[in-house]
Amino acid sequence: MSDLKKTLPTEYMVLNMGPSHPVTHGTVKFLVTLDGETIVDFVVDIGYLHRGFEKMCENSTWEQVFPYTDRLNYVPPMINNVGYALAVEKLLGIDVPERNKYIRVIASELSRISDHLTNVAASGLELGAFTAFLYFVEARELVWDMLESLCGARLTSNYVRIGGLKNDLPEDFKDQTTAVFKRCRELWSDVDKLLTKNRIFIDRVRDVGIMPPDEAIAWGFTGPCLRASGVPYDVRKANPYLVYDRMDFEIPIGEKGDNFDRYLVRMEEIIQSMRIVEQALKEIPSGPINVDMPEYRWQSKDDIYNKIESLIFHFKTVTEGIKPPPGEVYFAVEGTNGELGFYLVSDGRGKPYKCRVRPPCFPLTAAMPRMIKGSLIADVVPTFDMINMIGGECDR
Amino acid sequence: MLAELIETIAKIMFIFGVNMGFFTPILGWVERKQSAVMQDRVGANRADIFGFRVIGLLHILADAIKVLTKEDFVPAGANKFFHTLAPFISLTPALVTFAVIPFGGQYEIFGHKVNLVIADLDIGILFIFAFASLATYGTVLAGWSSNNNWSFLGGMRASAQMLSYEVAMGLSIIGVIMVYSSLKLTEIGAMQAEFFRWGIFLQPVGFILFLTCAIAENKRAPFDIPEAESEIVAGYFTEYSSMKFVMFWMGEFLEIVTISGIITTLFFGAWHIPFVSNEMLLSIFGFAGPDGANILTMLINIATFFVKIIFFIWLQMTIRWTLPRFRYDQIMKLGWKILLPLALINIFITGLVLLVK
Amino acid sequence: MSYELNYTIGSIPLEKLKPKKVRKNIELTLWERLYIPEIVRGMIITTRHFVQNMAGFIFPPNGKKRRVFTVYYPEEKLTIPIAYRGRPVLVMREDGTERCVACGLCESICPAFAISIVGGERRRENEMERYPVTYTLDMSRCVYCGFCEEVCPKEAIAMSDEYEELAERDRNRMIYPKEKLLVSEKRLKNRIDYVRKIYSKNNYNAK
Repeated sequence: MSDLKKTLPTEYMVLNMGPSHPVTHGTVKFLVTLDGETIVDFVVDIGYLHRGFEKMCENSTWEQVFPYTDRLNYVPPMINNVGYALAVEKLLGIDVPERNKYIRVIASELSRISDHLTNVAASGLELGAFTAFLYFVEARELVWDMLESLCGARLTSNYVRIGGLKNDLPEDFKDQTTAVFKRCRELWSDVDKLLTKNRIFIDRVRDVGIMPPDEAIAWGFTGPCLRASGVPYDVRKANPYLVYDRMDFEIPIGEKGDNFDRYLVRMEEIIQSMRIVEQALKEIPSGPINVDMPEYRWQSKDDIYNKIESLIFHFKTVTEGIKPPPGEVYFAVEGTNGELGFYLVSDGRGKPYKCRVRPPCFPLTAAMPRMIKGSLIADVVPTFDMINMIGGECDR
Repeated sequence: MLAELIETIAKIMFIFGVNMGFFTPILGWVERKQSAVMQDRVGANRADIFGFRVIGLLHILADAIKVLTKEDFVPAGANKFFHTLAPFISLTPALVTFAVIPFGGQYEIFGHKVNLVIADLDIGILFIFAFASLATYGTVLAGWSSNNNWSFLGGMRASAQMLSYEVAMGLSIIGVIMVYSSLKLTEIGAMQAEFFRWGIFLQPVGFILFLTCAIAENKRAPFDIPEAESEIVAGYFTEYSSMKFVMFWMGEFLEIVTISGIITTLFFGAWHIPFVSNEMLLSIFGFAGPDGANILTMLINIATFFVKIIFFIWLQMTIRWTLPRFRYDQIMKLGWKILLPLALINIFITGLVLLVK
Repeated sequence: MSYELNYTIGSIPLEKLKPKKVRKNIELTLWERLYIPEIVRGMIITTRHFVQNMAGFIFPPNGKKRRVFTVYYPEEKLTIPIAYRGRPVLVMREDGTERCVACGLCESICPAFAISIVGGERRRENEMERYPVTYTLDMSRCVYCGFCEEVCPKEAIAMSDEYEELAERDRNRMIYPKEKLLVSEKRLKNRIDYVRKIYSKNNYNAK
């Protein structure tokens, strides 16, 4: 072979994968150097979906940021809403009513289910298992129908408010959940049978994109990718927020940190999230969902319609924005790809001085070359899918 | 002489009509609809004429019009001659192979002997393999002449895959040839009159090997790495458009039919109905006179053959929509390290059994 | 190679974290090594779906047109929940005037800067009242967040259930003037009641 190489001049082939390529479902570009089919060099080029989220936040009131957060990781928008709301509430030092906390948990977990369904389905699709994709898309559709009846939109939820929620659970939500989860579990087991033990699928994802736990921590991994490496780190357990400490759920962990582990962890998390939603719906207390603090949460319509003081104060808070005390705060929630952190700085005015987001998939995307170098070009597909890089979140 | 000429022309017209006029367009519809129903969807059903939709069948017409009116694009720097030649090379072999596949037995009608195969070659199977290997050139040329990195990768993958699987495919058939001791497809078909003499019972391993290799030769999922859309966009036909693009698809669909035909002939009793011999059919149709009985039997046999073909088309479609695709190195490993040894072992055991007998 | 589970998070005991190993085996089992059984199992599942759905097309289940999830869109439509946020519309009173008093709250809260109002005064039933001389909603900017509805002190703007025919080939036609936005009270009654319900005093913590 070495003699052959001396006499036969070979050269590397440089390929531009993306920004518009079937595997880059967010907009991202890979500069791949190939030796035959083997990847010699791999450069990730992000930023194609940069919309200036952080700068936009600086020019809008604290409340107006919510629609923007919907567009970070657009598959589970509720989690972004909840994360931002919790960060602002920490800055304000207020506590929300019990029912609110439960509803936020339900909304987050439904979003997490929809994201994991999308992710597993998309990886299946890109590995050629089109049928598995559509079974999960059906399940996701059902979950989104629930979210739609809850907040009025499928993706751009804009549901959570500082110190409250847009609205309460709809009346038949419990029955709807039971029916939807029954069908979701059926479809889940179908996909599980189609993929999990299928040798072709296992061969594609096993031992590809391995990340040992030490390195995973060093690269800043969080979420399912870190758990696949065997580190049981989950913000919901390590630093419980809302009512997650009262829920009974397990953290699925992998052993090897390859794509198969990531797939299995995500599949298991779908089931665990369903469990959490069911528990939360069982334990949810009745009561109010908003705090009665006119300076932070817009007042009830009853007050606005009937009391002139309330109306005047309402005008003041809406136009000027709520005014948190000066200071800075960091709050992290468990996003679907890992720790979704909001770092907020307030200078005491109605607008955030700085609103920085810690995107969970940025470190994951950064580690792509480390995971992919030396393997075949076909391995880019499962690895990048299991990273689940979302352009909106990574580029902001 | 004239009768023979008419017979041959009629047979050619029949096969050509069935393949190009029925199977090729209808398979586009079947692929859409079957995959859709499998995946809890409805499938394409929007094309209509005066509001009539005919469960999406009109999409065939719409597609044809679309394809014929699209711009035929040749990229800059492409080798125009080979770029144009490639789709023809990949379409023709699939069509030609059907010449040696019998779609019925031999019948005596009005004193004239009718043999339901276009060319009753002594080396039928070899003919099939010879033409099947020609199809490789189509994909390789398409990949190379397009002057595109993705096409090039696809063409390389296609050539490697098809060359490897040709070996295992050829060897998987040898067992059948040994059992029936003939290369003539009409003879092999005729020998399967008895249900338990069908190829599937005599050569079960050979069947699985052949099916696997045939799907790999046809470059359909799970062996569709030459056109794996998530890795290399569309592989060797990335740079094709309009009618040339469709010719690749037609070639693929025709190959599905051809593979089903070969499988039926070699392993599933060709035109025979299980437990019903032609004599029984003749006696049942005795009321129509000897010629009428023969014609009815012939029609029944042709129908049986095509029902079997349709079943195997359905099987291939189900496989295609169920499984994820392999990786390049895994395909090579499967071909050379698993299928080839298995085929050799199969030949060895078949030989032993035949020797002991 | 596999890694021992020796990572703990801070001082949290493992029992509380409840880790659950999801990977049954590192090496492939014999069953997984054989391609055929799992392929056949997969095909049985897809075939089951195929047969069930085909049966559903021919004999539709009770109350549904077909078993599959799909809705034939222009002919059939989904029932949308009351919470659904369609295009924002202005509420029109029975005499054809708008409820809006041009206070500008929706204009200032709109995160997409889609609303622009020019206020004025007019005489109605012997009373002077403020009204929007122009009320322009740029539908190419609107993100359907529903903030305008939430802050409105007069129930004058509401998110309707309309989601059709909002796309245009010309951007200028997506800038909706007041006349295009007005929808009668009667049609929006459900939505207005819903808004009143979800922002009612019951949902706020009593002091």
